[in-house]
Amino acid sequence: MVGEDLGFSLQESGPKLTEYAELHGCSCKIGQSDLEGLLAQAGLDTDQPELLFGVGEDAAARQLTEDLAVVSTIDYFTPIIDDPRAYGEVAACNAASDAFAKGATENLSFLVVLGLPSELTDEAAPILNGIAETAERVDGVITGGHSVLNPWPIAGAAVNATAPPDELVTTEGATPGDRLYLTKPLGTQPAMGALRVREGEFGDQVSEATHRDITEIGADALEWMRTPNRAAARAFREAPVTAATDITGFGLLGQSQHLAGNARVGIELDHVPVIEGTLPLSDLFGYGLREGESAETSGGLLVAVDADGAGDLEAALEARDVFHREVGRVTEPPQVGLNEPTFEEI
Amino acid sequence: MREEIDVTGEVCPRPALMVRDVLEELEPGDELVVNGDYPPAEGNIQRTCEKHGYEVTKGEESEEADGDSFTLQIAVPDEAVGPHMGE
Repeated sequence: MVGEDLGFSLQESGPKLTEYAELHGCSCKIGQSDLEGLLAQAGLDTDQPELLFGVGEDAAARQLTEDLAVVSTIDYFTPIIDDPRAYGEVAACNAASDAFAKGATENLSFLVVLGLPSELTDEAAPILNGIAETAERVDGVITGGHSVLNPWPIAGAAVNATAPPDELVTTEGATPGDRLYLTKPLGTQPAMGALRVREGEFGDQVSEATHRDITEIGADALEWMRTPNRAAARAFREAPVTAATDITGFGLLGQSQHLAGNARVGIELDHVPVIEGTLPLSDLFGYGLREGESAETSGGLLVAVDADGAGDLEAALEARDVFHREVGRVTEPPQVGLNEPTFEEI
Repeated sequence: MREEIDVTGEVCPRPALMVRDVLEELEPGDELVVNGDYPPAEGNIQRTCEKHGYEVTKGEESEEADGDSFTLQIAVPDEAVGPHMGE
């Protein structure tokens, strides 16, 4: 069947995982400003002297010895796709991504977070298989976990990874003049949305909106979502990278605002790579991909590099076969936004 | 003419597609009232409608304390104002 050729099952017969939750993938994150307000309310927005960095970054880092730091993070979300194994793969990939975004790429351990409604407990094994497969791909180990019954399915992991302290990267170091790179194309939200409505009353509208087959777009998006950002993060060491973050539910624009706010700089984005066929789907669904506002799940890394070292970063990414595009530059504050961007279909 | 559609309980991208279907049947000067309870749908419906030349006004429901329910009033413009969705 077609789904097998695409590398995932379209779940014609099994339960549709995505129907058990009202928000999907990283779009179930609470809003950025709500989160900032919550942290302030809870007194968690102050400096933490015990840590190299913590709240406000993608992951926290604690120095253990002179040459070793442990980076920890947790991430889980509701199903982005009906195939349980693919869901597990993407969830684990996304969880590890926060550590990679901080430059921690070694000795990964995964504590699995799994919650399923009672009628979906048969899906637990394939979800765990998917998580285990991703862990293996990044030379990680599953060290345990916690499973509960939950009305909405959730899956992900708490991840620890290590790095020498001087190889860690935050969002704070970007300076005007730096160049910005992105290591995956955007468009996972419209791609997955289209898969959910490709049959039934809206099937014709959705397939007529774009020149590509909806399942092919979905397969592309899934392939990007289950590609770990580890190789991209390893390339950081060979270039003067000044800041990095991963693109998630806040979208390219939200993540740029986050980085710019932490570094007290501006950002101008003028080139946006997107998965082929996702722009018209985003327009149809009102998702905001053209504005950089479409949520991404397990997105690529947004990396700022000193302009003099941009060639080194490109060479290091190319040497590892990591997709990358220059998407803009760091400017003087306070403007952050897209400036008449060109969209490149990938 | 004033039409009303309830997208309560519908998950994205369905609400935006449902609204689009109804709008295509309306004439310039008509108004569509959309009620829903899924916060991301409100933004998506507003974005796709405004992109296609419709005027969108948030109703009182959107300002209520529970934060989830919303009402949008969508005015179908004269054809000169902007392209309709089907075009």
